[in-house]
Amino acid sequence: MAHKQLTEEYYKLLHEIQAVDFVLVELNLYLDTHPSDSAIIEQYNAYAVKSKQLKEEYARRYGPLQHGDMADKPYSWPDAPWPWQV
Amino acid sequence: MATFTQYKVYYPFVGPCDPCPPIRAKTYNTPPQLYVPVQPPGLPQYDPYTALKQGTLWPAYYSPYDGRIESKPGE
Repeated sequence: MAHKQLTEEYYKLLHEIQAVDFVLVELNLYLDTHPSDSAIIEQYNAYAVKSKQLKEEYARRYGPLQHGDMADKPYSWPDAPWPWQV
Repeated sequence: MATFTQYKVYYPFVGPCDPCPPIRAKTYNTPPQLYVPVQPPGLPQYDPYTALKQGTLWPAYYSPYDGRIESKPGE
């Protein structure tokens, strides 16, 4: 059974998702202590939208990224590569 | 000019009756959050990829750990 080969494009998209999510975490922590900083709230919302788009893009191209994403037919969730194999 | 690091050093007293071989220079880390505990708004930010690599979004609070510092200054 041929395993799904991961392209350069796959890693680039994954890297971008990780970067955007990390920025979201950092901004979230900042907003915990500075709730009224509206500039950062706008930035947070912009990145939140971007993160959603990237994840939808990933789900559309490579299948479900995380639990709860739309499953594709045939059901590929348990297939290789697993997250640590990527 | 010595390069700036977040590690400072102090030199403990070494006496003739020390039970163990002396450690002449002890280093300790002084990260930025000691000096600026409450983060001021409007600090400059890294771009997302650099932030992911550096481990923080704010360059002002970047505090690298370069592993155990074997050769301590003034050893």
